[in-house]
Amino acid sequence: MAAYRTHMKIIGEILETTQEDLQDGNGASVTYLIRKANISHSRISGILSTLVSQGLLEQTAGGGANKYKISQSGREFLRAYYAFTRFADSFGLSI
Amino acid sequence: MQAAQRGRRPAPLTNGTRTIHQIEIISRRYLDIPLEFLLENILNLIGFLVGLGIGIMSLVGYKNTGSPTLFRLTVAFFSISAGFFVVWAGYTAEDLFLHAGDIEGWVQTLGIGIQTIGYFFIAFSHSIKSFFPKSAHFRAIIPLPLLLTSSVQLEHIFRSVSFIFLAYGAIETMLSYFENRNRGAASVAAGLGLLALGEFLGWYSFVFPESLLYPASMACRIGGLIALFIPVSRVPLTRVRFDR
Repeated sequence: MAAYRTHMKIIGEILETTQEDLQDGNGASVTYLIRKANISHSRISGILSTLVSQGLLEQTAGGGANKYKISQSGREFLRAYYAFTRFADSFGLSI
Repeated sequence: MQAAQRGRRPAPLTNGTRTIHQIEIISRRYLDIPLEFLLENILNLIGFLVGLGIGIMSLVGYKNTGSPTLFRLTVAFFSISAGFFVVWAGYTAEDLFLHAGDIEGWVQTLGIGIQTIGYFFIAFSHSIKSFFPKSAHFRAIIPLPLLLTSSVQLEHIFRSVSFIFLAYGAIETMLSYFENRNRGAASVAAGLGLLALGEFLGWYSFVFPESLLYPASMACRIGGLIALFIPVSRVPLTRVRFDR
């Protein structure tokens, strides 16, 4: 049985996806994020608006659709996420 | 000194029988009661420092990520640290200042009680992960308190409950190691296992109070705390900052 992903892990995967080299320099589209992070549209909308309001993602309008790029705070958050994922893994837990 | 300078062997200070007798005196004077006292102090200080270190690291992680798992680990390790500190401070205050003679038992009970809260949060983090009622491992050790809590004293209850939590945490962490092959998880599982063994031996030493069980219990717990800290010390904390 596959383990459920925690909310934190989903956020980590979304940020990771926006950090990857994208063909379009404006950022990742919602469709691309849905496909890469394997999450429903209704759920990702709420998460994206939270991440934008927290300053972890930057929203840009390009080609008639919203696109998302990782911000400097987002990169710092991702570094902390990697470090503390390893920390929690040592205890057999996931953050 | 002068004999050595002249190139002669100095005469032996004691003969064999007297040396053995001296060793007996030394071991009785310095290694019997003080050994236990020394180990107790080392254990409590290491427990306080290791708990504080891991607690601070968990707190930094919680502040940076907002993860509830890291919050539970923060509460767990600050409780463990506080428990060890209470026992160490209580014993030190009693020996140096108070000399009341009847507070050591209560200090020990209070400290172990606070540590038990910490062990509960470690076990709780695992029980959330594997959903408590479905966890066959937890159900497998639920009957143990009935066997272990034969005494009415609080310390016995705390020690046996701590043993359950630690054994459960060690089993879950070991299962995680089998899934991911993360060496850190193996070290933490060994640490929790040694702490559980230490709690068990500490509880069992009430039956044989003059035996080596209690020093062995403390040695196990010191080893367990060191094993807990090894993987945590490798986390690259210097690259992580507090949120503003």
